[in-house]
Amino acid sequence: MLFNKRTERIFIWVFFPLALLMPLFLAENAFYISKMTSVMIFALFVMSLDYLVGRCGLITLGHAMFYGLGGYLFWMIAPEYEAVNFWVYTFYICMIASAVALVIGFLVLRTSGIYMIMITLAFAQMAFYFFSDSIEFGGNDGLFIYVKPETSIFGLSFFNLDDPVHFYYLCLLSLFNTLVFFRLLIRSRFGRVVDAIHENPGRTTALGYNIFLFRLMSYVIASALGAYAGYLFTLQYGFVNPSMLAWTTSGSALVMSILGGMGSIYGAILGTFVYEGLHYTLEHLTEHWMLFMGALIIAMVMVFKNGIAGYMEKLLEKRS
Amino acid sequence: MFKSKTLRHAVVASLATLSLSSSVMASDEPIKVGMMLPFSGVYGALGDATRNGLKMALQEQASNLHGRKIEYIEIDTEARPERAPEIASSLLNNSEADFIIGPVHSGVAMGMLKVLRGQDTVMIVPNAGAGPVTGPLCSPNVFRTSFSSWQPSYPMGHVALEKGYKKVVTMSWNYGMGKESLDAFEESFTAGGGEIVKKILVPFPKTEFQAYLSEIASINPDAVFVFFAGGGAVKFVKDYDALGLKGKIPLLGSGFLTEGTLEAQGESAEGILTTLHYADSLDNELNTQFRSAYKQQFGKASDIYAVQGYDTGLMIASAVNQLGGDISNQNALIKALESTTVRSPRGDFTFSTAHNPVQNIYLRTVENGENKVVEIAAPALADPARGCKL
Amino acid sequence: MTTSLFLVQLINGLQYGLLLFLIASGLTLVFGVMGILNLAHGSMYMVGAYLAWYFVEHTGSFGVSAIISAIIALLIGIFVERTLIRQLYRRNHLDQVLLTIGMIFVFNALQGILWGNDPLGVSVPESLAGAIPLTDVLEYPVYRIFVALLCIGIAAVMYFMINKTRLGMLIRAGESNREMVECLGIDIRKLYTIVFAIGVMLAAVAGVAAAPMSSIVPGMGEHILITCFVVVVIGGMGSIKGAFVAALLVGLVDTFASVLVPQLSSMMIYILMAFILLLKPQGLFSS
Repeated sequence: MLFNKRTERIFIWVFFPLALLMPLFLAENAFYISKMTSVMIFALFVMSLDYLVGRCGLITLGHAMFYGLGGYLFWMIAPEYEAVNFWVYTFYICMIASAVALVIGFLVLRTSGIYMIMITLAFAQMAFYFFSDSIEFGGNDGLFIYVKPETSIFGLSFFNLDDPVHFYYLCLLSLFNTLVFFRLLIRSRFGRVVDAIHENPGRTTALGYNIFLFRLMSYVIASALGAYAGYLFTLQYGFVNPSMLAWTTSGSALVMSILGGMGSIYGAILGTFVYEGLHYTLEHLTEHWMLFMGALIIAMVMVFKNGIAGYMEKLLEKRS
Repeated sequence: MFKSKTLRHAVVASLATLSLSSSVMASDEPIKVGMMLPFSGVYGALGDATRNGLKMALQEQASNLHGRKIEYIEIDTEARPERAPEIASSLLNNSEADFIIGPVHSGVAMGMLKVLRGQDTVMIVPNAGAGPVTGPLCSPNVFRTSFSSWQPSYPMGHVALEKGYKKVVTMSWNYGMGKESLDAFEESFTAGGGEIVKKILVPFPKTEFQAYLSEIASINPDAVFVFFAGGGAVKFVKDYDALGLKGKIPLLGSGFLTEGTLEAQGESAEGILTTLHYADSLDNELNTQFRSAYKQQFGKASDIYAVQGYDTGLMIASAVNQLGGDISNQNALIKALESTTVRSPRGDFTFSTAHNPVQNIYLRTVENGENKVVEIAAPALADPARGCKL
Repeated sequence: MTTSLFLVQLINGLQYGLLLFLIASGLTLVFGVMGILNLAHGSMYMVGAYLAWYFVEHTGSFGVSAIISAIIALLIGIFVERTLIRQLYRRNHLDQVLLTIGMIFVFNALQGILWGNDPLGVSVPESLAGAIPLTDVLEYPVYRIFVALLCIGIAAVMYFMINKTRLGMLIRAGESNREMVECLGIDIRKLYTIVFAIGVMLAAVAGVAAAPMSSIVPGMGEHILITCFVVVVIGGMGSIKGAFVAALLVGLVDTFASVLVPQLSSMMIYILMAFILLLKPQGLFSS
């Protein structure tokens, strides 16, 4: 079975049908649709990070570089006043991001642990300052995208990106596909080797695998998906800003991923929704939302040993 | 033909009166004022002061609101531009705010504009000076009660020339507001024959200024012009003094250098010349009243950010008053806002066609921990609004 | 660049580097001994600066304020270690990261509630207020020289403490083999409490020392945190000596880059770090 954990199946059966039906009830309130959309986009980003950190054991604090890159790349390669094809540009952006990830991964994967955290941060900071210091890229104030892509395949167009509800479904579909993709990847031969490397790099090397190559491939895949998330974020509001690449964006994603349950993949969705939900609720309740947010994060670390997913699994999985 | 037109006018007018009276009757619905300001972090102090001023004005003007109550929705932007579109969308679609006030930070302004331009709400910028807001990106429903970054810096070029300075070093953080300020100074200064011998752009938000100041000392220019604000301004002014440049090379600045920071800067700020659309010591009755009321209510001295918030409140109140409490017609509301003359502590000001204030810029100097007015550096100065098609 | 300007910039760089060392030393000490990555370290720096301001306002003396602030920081350190950090020794690093990020939120919120958002300033104490003229225009404030000497002094004390005292011996033993220390009947938990508290205090002392020459603003901790991590990682995590060398290196590179290659100055320390880690993936002085 693709989703081998009962908890994950329950989660999928609860979350996706609800998300599928949500626009029917809330279509008149444009905000809820757009908020849900942006949380799903970020969940996709967190998921790509979760694969890297939780499954491959490669902790990065520079993942936001690809998130921002996804947005800036679209601005760079797409003509300003002409609607391009969404799928074609998805392909372009993922390819370019992969190429960048290949080069950077080649350099950063020589290090490990805390050193890898810092060297990924170093590259992300360089990229951040590159965009925020250059006037050509809008500097600190960012850039606007004026024309959204069209989504036809062989003349058939299912999504109109100017319609928030269509865009919502596109993001939901992307999130679901990413989840399935990671599950397939984890179950594949490739995924099993990656798991083995995470468990015991030395023994996996002894078995004749080039662990550097597997790590590099994982890094490239996660980065390309991170860029895809950034591309979606940019399309949602037509806005790119260097703060997308800031280390705080990487930091938040890492927090959500740990909160959700590292390496569980579906936990990324849980973590993102819980974090964003708390943030939204608290900031509307009190000006001192940070105090409660901080206290709740601390409490959750204390209570959940393996994040929210881990806690739920403890409750729901049959002991065998 | 003529007759039927008059008739139509009459019908429309009476219908309008009818709808007006009905909506006045239904006016127990509050006016929703959304705030997108930073209440935490580096810009937190600016957000606080703006909010205080805004609320104070609307409280004072309560009797002019035709019975309408005000409901505030306050959201902390954390000065994070990437969150701006989402918060703006929340205030527009979820809270259905009539007015959205914000932001402080220019990057956030861009994100807000993307969502709010041309929408059924009025966005009023109480601080962010980014040129595009009332330039290429201007919009009928977007107003600004503060300044464009061009405004406070442009007159300083003339002041510097009058003082006989020929060679000037300019310096600021490497971001939009800073660069626009330096450009505005350069525009008027070089047009009058001055020379910018060096332009230093410090990565934002770095505050290690020592290396740059040592370099300035070695260049030894006639004067230094800077844009810094908040915590960076405190650090810069203190470093300028500590490294001995104060008193030897005159320091000029866009007025934010000494706004809300004088207490922390202490002695080091004495004698700095700045230009801004306001000064604490402005000698008019409204300003005196405002300052004492603010001090009484919030227990601390007001600054430019408080004034800008206050004026935003006055502007809203004036428009609501003109329309007899009915702000449901957006075109009428925009007309009313456009024609408002704000009776501000900074002196009366009106709005340009691009919706930016047309206001006096004052030359000030720091004396005994206060910004004292020296003269009016530029009367009723309007931003050139380059690229605005309104 | 003239020779005199070069020398001035050299002093600037060293002085900045020494301050960085003071902040970073606590971070590397805690990581080296306890294996804890304390992201809230920058917040402690902020707390130190705010405490310094608060007690200067109330006692009027910078010296008294510095001592009270250091003691309070020590107590905060003990409290945080006993109540929070202690629960997570057996958990993975990422849980510790999450915990300390939660602490950043809490400290930032408390700062806003207790002291507000206005930028604050502390004046230089009277006795250290003078300045030494360097060139016609430029002079060097005595206080900054004092802080530089203080940093060197603290570095020397730390060196002595770690290499020559019983506590230092335990710290070194704890670094290399936790179980063995426990087997020898030493209460490692007490040792951890002490080390963590010292780490917090070092950050706070750096904040106190920096207060008169900087502006005290919300969020001042986060910006310095990243620079500190750069220092600690270049030096090799856990190595005090490495942190010292790396801090000076970062201070000098940052200072000279600002003047010589301003277009790249924002990226320069990251380029430096990436470069060093590519050559030595464990930093300069890893054990």
